Amino acid sequence: MRSNNTFHSEVLQPFFFASEKYADSNAFCINEVFYSYKQLGETISAIRASVKELRADNINVGLVANDDLETYAAIIALWLEGKCYVPVNPETPAERNRNVLTQAAASVVIDSSDEVLFPELNVIRSKELVFTKLDLEPVQVEDDALAYIFFTSGTTGVPKGVPISRTNLAGFIKAFFELGITMDPSDKCLQMFELTFDLSVMSYLAPLLRGACVYTIPKNKIKFNYIADLLEQHNLTVALMVPSIIHYLRPYFDEIDCASMKFSLFCGEALPLDVTSEWAACVPNAKIMNVYGPTEDTIFCTHYTYSRAGENKASNGLMSIGKAMNGTFTIIINDKKEMVNAGEKGELCLGGVQLTPGYWMNDEKNKEAFFYTNYKGESTRFYKTGDLCLADEEGDIMYLGRIDSQIKVQGFRVELSEIEFFAKEFLNKVNAVAIAFTNKLHNTEIGMVIESTDFDTKPLLEYMKTKMPGYMIPTQMRFINSFPLNTNGKIDRKVLKEKF
Amino acid sequence: MNRSLVTEKLTAIFRTVFNDEGIELRDDLTANEVANWDSLTHMLMIGEVEKEFSIKFKLKELGKLEDVKSLIDLIEHKMNS
Repeated sequence: MRSNNTFHSEVLQPFFFASEKYADSNAFCINEVFYSYKQLGETISAIRASVKELRADNINVGLVANDDLETYAAIIALWLEGKCYVPVNPETPAERNRNVLTQAAASVVIDSSDEVLFPELNVIRSKELVFTKLDLEPVQVEDDALAYIFFTSGTTGVPKGVPISRTNLAGFIKAFFELGITMDPSDKCLQMFELTFDLSVMSYLAPLLRGACVYTIPKNKIKFNYIADLLEQHNLTVALMVPSIIHYLRPYFDEIDCASMKFSLFCGEALPLDVTSEWAACVPNAKIMNVYGPTEDTIFCTHYTYSRAGENKASNGLMSIGKAMNGTFTIIINDKKEMVNAGEKGELCLGGVQLTPGYWMNDEKNKEAFFYTNYKGESTRFYKTGDLCLADEEGDIMYLGRIDSQIKVQGFRVELSEIEFFAKEFLNKVNAVAIAFTNKLHNTEIGMVIESTDFDTKPLLEYMKTKMPGYMIPTQMRFINSFPLNTNGKIDRKVLKEKF
Repeated sequence: MNRSLVTEKLTAIFRTVFNDEGIELRDDLTANEVANWDSLTHMLMIGEVEKEFSIKFKLKELGKLEDVKSLIDLIEHKMNS
């Protein structure tokens, strides 16, 4: 392992180099305040001193995901000490956050809030630490140690942990820069994601490895408005966004002219070709890329570049997700786990350097989601994405839809069955179905149909808000006397969808 | 249209879009205080306001909105120009 320590060479060493060489350049712009690499390095060093005092078995450390320098610095400080971060969003219900921290056995939490969120745990209050000495040399840690664990929506009301190793993350970073994406200290890069969402990792980490500046979004701002302001006032050069942002901005495209944009990436949801073509005029000099991947395969792992002049591959108006990045293998299988031919539909499966070691402490899910198969003569581990896809003769993959009831809301993965689980828990024997529908802005919204006569749904919604993050709460409620059934005797969700 | 009529119409839009019949508008009311006021509902609310008052906002104008007062000011400004 040590002879091939890629996290050191791909992540820690480049950061160390950037922080020394570009000490006076800006590392972050947070809420209109700039922070230099020197300030970042000092904040990391201060937090690291506290991390060093932790017991050796405090490996997974909770991180309260605030929008400030201390929170980002804590991630690097933990990595320098070989530890793993488990982010929790302060806006998420406390009960859910406690479940996540307990599952990850994180008894220490780094918190930059004025009032600590988890007083029962051992808390490192990162805002109160004092810098004494610069300390950014990494310790030697095996590459199979974990870099982070992110928790996503599970089907039964319990969040599911996806651990990503240092090998996985280093593999991503290497493949990311091999896409031809360049950054240097003149670059200004958008970081629009909550830190509990893994697209944030690319958005803050890649720029920091090249001396570029990361622009974050304050939590109390309307995101797409703030992004439009950043594009206009700060001339951003790199942006990874979820497609819902350009759906929001679409009515105002004629006002956007961001000539500075060099790389405009989209991920997290299907990307319609028509809105992309219109967006291309807003970022006339940018290379536009559609990237794809689940958290299980580290941030994203396939890519397709939009062609301004020629044809673009699409299916049902959705742009192709392209081909695997370096180090990733993609196969499409039928329900017998046999690989299908070009042009045939099947489930997309992913393998290679970015693939998670498996769900956190969840043998049952691991048996369902991961399998070994012969790939190019070797027994290789693959992850079943649940995404229905086909690959054309040239190997470009088209996304066709989901196999199960998982949906994406503003890029967040949501299991509709988890929403139904909590609704039914409250409703007590009254049946409820969660439905994803497309609203008039072309974004996904969650509706709920309840098998009952009308009643005031406020208490139900209040209950669900104590159990799930805001993006999982239904925005529209409908009632029906009895659910329609399809020919298989199951609730006919297609009919219910027409109510929205 | 006077300010109180604008406020009255805006209140109705807020109650529908943010799905809360109890919302009372104040000058310093912001998104932080309204449970369902996020990017999605913000955009829906802006769409309803444009329709109700027959106006069309610019992206730059929306970016400057801080609270209900600035929204009402903007609506009045657009209607008189």
